[in-house]
Amino acid sequence: MAEQLPEYRQPWYHRWGGMLGEPRRRWRGMDDKHRDQANWALKALLVIVVAIISWPLALLVVALFAANYVDQYVPEKHAWARRALIPTLIAIVAITYPFYNGSLHDMRLFGAYPDVNTAVIMGVYVIMAVGLNIVVGYAGLLDLGYVAFYAMGAYTCAWFASVQFAHRNVHFGATGVGSSTPGFHINIWLLLLIAGLITALIGILIGLPTLRLRGDYLAIVTLGFGEILPQVANNGDNLGGFNLTNGPNGITPIDAPGLFGTSFQTGSGTFFTGPRLYFWLVLALVAITVFCSLRLRDSRLGRAWIAIREDETAAAAMGVPLMRTKTWAYATGAFFGGVAGAYFASFKSSTFPNDFSFNISAFILSMVILGGMGNVWGVMFGAAFLAYLNQEGLANIGHSLNQTFGTNFEVPLYQYGIYGAIIVLVMLIRPEGLIPSARRQAEFQEGVHDTPLYDARHE
Amino acid sequence: MTRKPLLTALLGLTAVLALVAAGCGGGGSSSSSGNATALPASSCSDIYYQGSGKPDYIIASDLPLQGSGRAQTVQMTEAIKFILKQHNFKAGKYNIGYQSCDDATAQEGAWASEKCSANAQAYAQNKSVIGVIGTFNSGCAEIIIPVLNRAPDGPVGMISPANTYVGLTHSGPGTAAGEPQKYYPTGKRNYIRIVAADDFQGAADALNTQQLGLKKIYILNDKQAYGLGVATDYKNALTKLNIPVAGFSAWNSKASSYTGLATQIKQSGADAVFIGGLICENGGKLIKDLASVLGKKVTLMAPDGFTPISAVVSGAGSVSEGMYISVAGEPNEKLGPTGQKFVKDFGATQSGGNVDPYSSYAAQSAVVLLSAIEKSDGTRADVAAKLLDTKVTDGILGNFQINSNGDTNSNPVTVYQIKNGKQTTYKTITPPTDLVKSS
Amino acid sequence: MATVASTQQSSWIGRIRAAGLGPAIATTLVVLLLLWLSVNLAKTPSDFASVALEGLTLGLVYGLIALGYSLVYGILELINFAHGDVFMLGSWVSFSFAANRLGLGANTSGIAVIGGLLLTLLVAMAFCGILNVTIERLAYRPLRNAPRLAPLITAIGMSFILQNVGLYLLGPAPVSVPNILPTGAVFTIGGNEYRWSSLIVAMTTIPILFLLIWLVQRTRQGKAMRATAQDQEAAAMMGINVNRTISFTFLIAGALAGVAGLLYALYSTNIRYDQGFQLGLIAFTAAVLGGIGNLPGAVLGAILIGLIQQFNEGLSWHAPSSQWTQSIVFAILILILVFRPEGLLGERTPEGG
Repeated sequence: MAEQLPEYRQPWYHRWGGMLGEPRRRWRGMDDKHRDQANWALKALLVIVVAIISWPLALLVVALFAANYVDQYVPEKHAWARRALIPTLIAIVAITYPFYNGSLHDMRLFGAYPDVNTAVIMGVYVIMAVGLNIVVGYAGLLDLGYVAFYAMGAYTCAWFASVQFAHRNVHFGATGVGSSTPGFHINIWLLLLIAGLITALIGILIGLPTLRLRGDYLAIVTLGFGEILPQVANNGDNLGGFNLTNGPNGITPIDAPGLFGTSFQTGSGTFFTGPRLYFWLVLALVAITVFCSLRLRDSRLGRAWIAIREDETAAAAMGVPLMRTKTWAYATGAFFGGVAGAYFASFKSSTFPNDFSFNISAFILSMVILGGMGNVWGVMFGAAFLAYLNQEGLANIGHSLNQTFGTNFEVPLYQYGIYGAIIVLVMLIRPEGLIPSARRQAEFQEGVHDTPLYDARHE
Repeated sequence: MTRKPLLTALLGLTAVLALVAAGCGGGGSSSSSGNATALPASSCSDIYYQGSGKPDYIIASDLPLQGSGRAQTVQMTEAIKFILKQHNFKAGKYNIGYQSCDDATAQEGAWASEKCSANAQAYAQNKSVIGVIGTFNSGCAEIIIPVLNRAPDGPVGMISPANTYVGLTHSGPGTAAGEPQKYYPTGKRNYIRIVAADDFQGAADALNTQQLGLKKIYILNDKQAYGLGVATDYKNALTKLNIPVAGFSAWNSKASSYTGLATQIKQSGADAVFIGGLICENGGKLIKDLASVLGKKVTLMAPDGFTPISAVVSGAGSVSEGMYISVAGEPNEKLGPTGQKFVKDFGATQSGGNVDPYSSYAAQSAVVLLSAIEKSDGTRADVAAKLLDTKVTDGILGNFQINSNGDTNSNPVTVYQIKNGKQTTYKTITPPTDLVKSS
Repeated sequence: MATVASTQQSSWIGRIRAAGLGPAIATTLVVLLLLWLSVNLAKTPSDFASVALEGLTLGLVYGLIALGYSLVYGILELINFAHGDVFMLGSWVSFSFAANRLGLGANTSGIAVIGGLLLTLLVAMAFCGILNVTIERLAYRPLRNAPRLAPLITAIGMSFILQNVGLYLLGPAPVSVPNILPTGAVFTIGGNEYRWSSLIVAMTTIPILFLLIWLVQRTRQGKAMRATAQDQEAAAMMGINVNRTISFTFLIAGALAGVAGLLYALYSTNIRYDQGFQLGLIAFTAAVLGGIGNLPGAVLGAILIGLIQQFNEGLSWHAPSSQWTQSIVFAILILILVFRPEGLLGERTPEGG
């Protein structure tokens, strides 16, 4: 394909049209020294902006930058320390969060720091986004119906840990449920795994017939599944006379997880309160998810995914089994979606068909795109940030803005416009995401395009 | 060469961590005031308290404060504040503060299940929360009630000004397996509502159908929790009155045409259609298509999801003429002297002077909760128990009593008719209990 | 790559195809469908006819939107997610121009209505066409060399932005449009009326389709479009201004969305900010059903979808009813993509597998 640059030098409207792509082009044109300086300047700017919002947050950012800087001076033989430094830092800050979040002062513009309960929800979205990242970021398969997996996980949890099937009375290791309570009550820990496996199976079933389709067709098919499943859930109160999902009324309440006989819903004492237990558990799940995701990326399978993403034809020619590899990506992504869905259902103690709209799929996709497709850390940040915006941030921002300017504009109402703008701007200015993976960055910048978009019939 | 930057950076990191720790270590003084601990600022407002000293307890309201219904719910919180101020922030010997919590997220633009659950956890964990006013949506109540019921030191009482789903308090046709017991895992009741449940509205609509002399009814629902519930209750009441049901089906709020559905209704020979659902679920378009296919001879009826009635008129235009819309409770102008006085005094504090009917219900809820606290021994469990004992004489909503299920015995349903594009009160129906109760 | 993939994979789909079971299954389904339709026809002939006419009308509206998807997909292989929302804004601009600016309403006289609507049509077409071209310039063109999914993701983002613009302009509740078209019946079948508004939709869509086919098949600009669709580089070498051709395609697609927006507002008399997403998905399904990139196919697919929707909701003998409509439409989409990605009228391409 022809080089695009000269085109922008021609008529004025071409220049304007390409304006959004301009900073990126200029950045690429810099030499190393200037780029380094610009990098420092950008970092300093970021720290200053964050410090204006809230200084403890700025400290965290500085600490992360410092840790990142230290990284390159760690000798090769202590490579483990290099790998462990930033995760340890994040882990310490995260695990102790319930102890200090109440004493942090409000942020400027953003209002109060997220509540522990909100942090749990952020964690759940992080798991989902990291799961979707395996499908979209690693394997390069656009999945617009990821919410279907979340729904599957949630309903699996709901069926086996509530009074939905009241004519049965099966108890297995459930905490905090009276033995006479009707319905299935299976231990939530076990259910998380079961939900993950069932969802992975569904992922394989959906994937087998559809994964042979080309990227954009696949996206549409997944979107179709994502639209059908909630409708089935909504009409599932009478499937040939059988009440599977309780329809629009949803399934409530759902059992809480337990540990050593303590139900997470009630907690125990003032230290192990319910929200804290939920929070630490979600942190553990996030840690497991991230660990698996990173190990998978570096495994043979993960390299096969990336090979497919970069050039399907070359990958196939090198003997990568396309269908099997893609199906594994799908199943793995679905697994994490299922686990997150099951945990979320248990945390919310409810599941409703309305929880599973296309918007959620797009929401999770925005997280992956914002953070940087393929990069776990970026995706984690994107997920936590957008989930926070949705839960509290936008309402707070709207409140601050309206108070400052005396307006009456409802910011949360336009959140999807905001997410849309994020998607478009990221794709145009920094398609590799805020924290890109090095490999993905190279693809976008040097153009490892196996399939140039506008040149379809190249085969 | 490589040592020095490493050392500097490590020192810097240590310093930073120390600073972070220092910044975080200072006790939680900012978020508590007096004896009562505030609910997290992330979803709740600051404590509203203007009485003497410090509040001993907090009452919280749980309403969706984002999205299209915001104006209505914000006024409800204002009404609660108004009542508190009137009582001088006192319930007997206790000083009472108030926090308004939001159960909506930006994503839904309405209540969101995860927010309800998070709020429920916060109420249950915070022993300063002596009682909760809420919720607005029955689905949210399904989540909160069981959590409050199992709160660490006995159930926390909750009083709803707006929940109408039947299964929250008693079983009946159309409720799910295990309802309502599944919401009360401890076996003790902690939830009351001062608004008539949907089975009363369904019965009132059925009675109205009978009195209008309609012979065969087609029932539509929007396949959402509220619409399906009220449509089912209406159907059950019709069956009891021996009025034949011509059909029972759902309309899809996202469809661009309902003429197919309307043709099917025409074919069924129904002389009236009951539209169980919400006006915002594309109700305007549905009414238009029904009217254009079925003609003027077919009567249209709807429950209080089709309010405000002005929205029906603007959404459906002139074809909504003659339509009947029922609303649980009584309109502000039919309230007794106490209610009238509240509407007048509270209206004076609101811009425009308009008082939404739900504000009266919110205010009544606050009064009931305050009096339960006053009668209690100051424990949350006792407040919940006293709520179930509620008996109100000459309140904002008149006289009523709460039964052991937590339901009110005052169940008037007002039927409005659209005439000349305006809502006119057609009649108020109080359905007899034997029409409502299944057994 | 797809050829490599298809020789490699030996899934059950492949086996079904290899065994020639595909046509057999499809035939069985179609026969069952026809059987169900004929029973309904026998039981209630007049309702059947009126439901079919309504379905046809609805299908034609879908068809106008589907044409836009098909045109853009044909030339760029891009699913322009934002197209449905351009259509929604077309409805908004028609409504605010015709009802608020020109003051057209149920009581306006005939000549004024015709003149006013023609003017509105021009405004809507111009607005949506220019909007669509702008979107292409700003959001899609800079990504022409990016990996394939990048513009698709951007299109989803654009769709959200436009939808929220609509939310700001129209508000969250549906907006009622006055009855500008005559509401009387053209004719009556067994007590069911066929309305003027339906007839006008049909009389607008069909000429537009023929005009479009003429444009693509017969004119110089159409030839440039087809050449660009086949091979951009070769087209550029032949002296075709590829960028201008692509812009022209977006202009035409946008203008079609404008027509659809006006017709939908008049026919449905109810517009809302998220109609674009819903109808966009349906129209895209229709385009895929007919064979994406194939213009008559898009309209055929749209009519079929419209009929299926209305039959499902309007027929009384064993119809799954409206609560399943959405699922049925998407199930069709999935089945078509899996078993016959080239659609009803499309040619088999290697990409389809």
